[in-house]
Amino acid sequence: MRGFNILLQKEFREAWRSWKFLWIPLVFALLGMSDPLTNYYMTDILNAVGNVPEGFEMLMPELMPVDLLQGSIGQFQTICLLVLMATFVGAISRERASGMATLLYVRPISFSAHFMSKFIVMSTVAFISILAGFAASIYYTVVLYGTFEIGPLVACFFTYFSWLLFVIAVTLMMSAAFKTVVATACAFAVIFIGQILDSLVGTFWTISPWKLPLYGVQLMRGTMEMSDYWWSLSLTLVVSLICVSIGILTMKKNASMTKI
Amino acid sequence: MTILLQVTGLTKQFAERVVVDGIEFTLEKNTSTALIGPNGAGKTTTLSMLTGLLKPTSGSVKMVDGDLRANIGFLPQYPQFHPWLSALEFTEMAAKLNGVPTKKAKVEAQKTLEFVGLGNDLNKKISTFSGGMRQRLGISQAIVHKPKLLLLDEPVSALDPVGRREVLDLLKGLQQETTILYSTHILNDAEEMTDQLLFLRDGKLVEQGTLREVRQRFDEPNYIVEFGTEKEAQLFASQSELIGEVKGSHVYIEIIDEKPSMQELLQHLSSCPNKIRKVERQTASLEEIFMKVARKI
Repeated sequence: MRGFNILLQKEFREAWRSWKFLWIPLVFALLGMSDPLTNYYMTDILNAVGNVPEGFEMLMPELMPVDLLQGSIGQFQTICLLVLMATFVGAISRERASGMATLLYVRPISFSAHFMSKFIVMSTVAFISILAGFAASIYYTVVLYGTFEIGPLVACFFTYFSWLLFVIAVTLMMSAAFKTVVATACAFAVIFIGQILDSLVGTFWTISPWKLPLYGVQLMRGTMEMSDYWWSLSLTLVVSLICVSIGILTMKKNASMTKI
Repeated sequence: MTILLQVTGLTKQFAERVVVDGIEFTLEKNTSTALIGPNGAGKTTTLSMLTGLLKPTSGSVKMVDGDLRANIGFLPQYPQFHPWLSALEFTEMAAKLNGVPTKKAKVEAQKTLEFVGLGNDLNKKISTFSGGMRQRLGISQAIVHKPKLLLLDEPVSALDPVGRREVLDLLKGLQQETTILYSTHILNDAEEMTDQLLFLRDGKLVEQGTLREVRQRFDEPNYIVEFGTEKEAQLFASQSELIGEVKGSHVYIEIIDEKPSMQELLQHLSSCPNKIRKVERQTASLEEIFMKVARKI
């Protein structure tokens, strides 16, 4: 891991100066607060917008705090993932294509250090982002609906973070393996088509990384089958590790793709 | 002279196309070598293989004492930097990545940036830099760790005449303590700072040697006699027994085996009734040699 600290410092500087530590958490926070707010004020919104027919009675479902957190996580799963992945999918491939990698690759650095420095910065951005997202969602839920138990909440948070580590590992691996366009397509396919498949035919299996966000919520509901949970969590971490290893290898192999 | 770098049978093949074809040369310590050749001759590919960025299809590059990768500095033709960093941060990072101790790295980076003339721009973001400043920064990141071998890909071709002059002077300042290999197609530059010439054409090394050796091999010296008008020149050429070619008001007389000598020519000219403006012996410029080598089959 030669040069790890130096590369880490460089990656942090870059992420910091391009405001990634600010705007990505902001997106998460905005989407996190949108679910409790819109649900709570739904009747008011509908009345204000009008077009509700006379005498129309709407039965609003009785929502538990955990339902709103689930709604927020649903938001994170689409737009926030998209933002996070789109921001970082070029981390390696774009550096190669622009030629910026050349001045780094000619030096005696290790590719694992280079890959891990990017992985850690991405993870940190992701961590702060879901921290902001969860905080926003929980704040409005607590104010408008009711409180959470702290233990399961923390478990849910870290379960979701493990899922994000998986997303990051896949994204970076694709970035190391392919050019930006192909990497984007592949990473999105794995994460989003994986999600769709898992929701369509996912009843046939119980252990999968794509189920982790849902399992986090089920932990809070207390309906989780714990063996499924642990197996899924372990599988996710193992697959992430494999992705990281493949990423490091392909990064090294593709070093000659850098523009000179 | 001690040998620093030994290149044997270096070959690179992309699909069907052989871009670099079994080139061999050595670099001696603290000498400057110019790698010249027309576009597409394989100069950049050769340099990329020397840096280790590109794996050769066959052949080897060996540094005689020490690990190659730890001892080179490389300046690509169009260096790209991380725009968010400042010049000092980038150079410092470059030094550290090459193993300069953290405490020393900043001082070295500062010194190097001052040396390349960026002393007033240490903390400016690279994204605000002009082309000339980028080239200087490129040089500073290549030399900050005092590499044994400096590889430069077209170091001056993107610069204006002033910038070129300055960068050349910079490189000359480094010549004493560094081995330099640079590619160029600007031959005046090569003429200015070169101990060895490597001519590359279609991936093959077609000529190599010192500037003097190559020049001797390809020199076709001429006398140039300049007359006042074209008519006079033609008149002289038609009357003289010396074989001359007329171009404008100039007559070119080929020298074969040092014949005719200057004395003979002057004797001959003394009887000429027309006004002579200039008599000169001309040796081939590197450009002429370049053209000859580039066309030689």
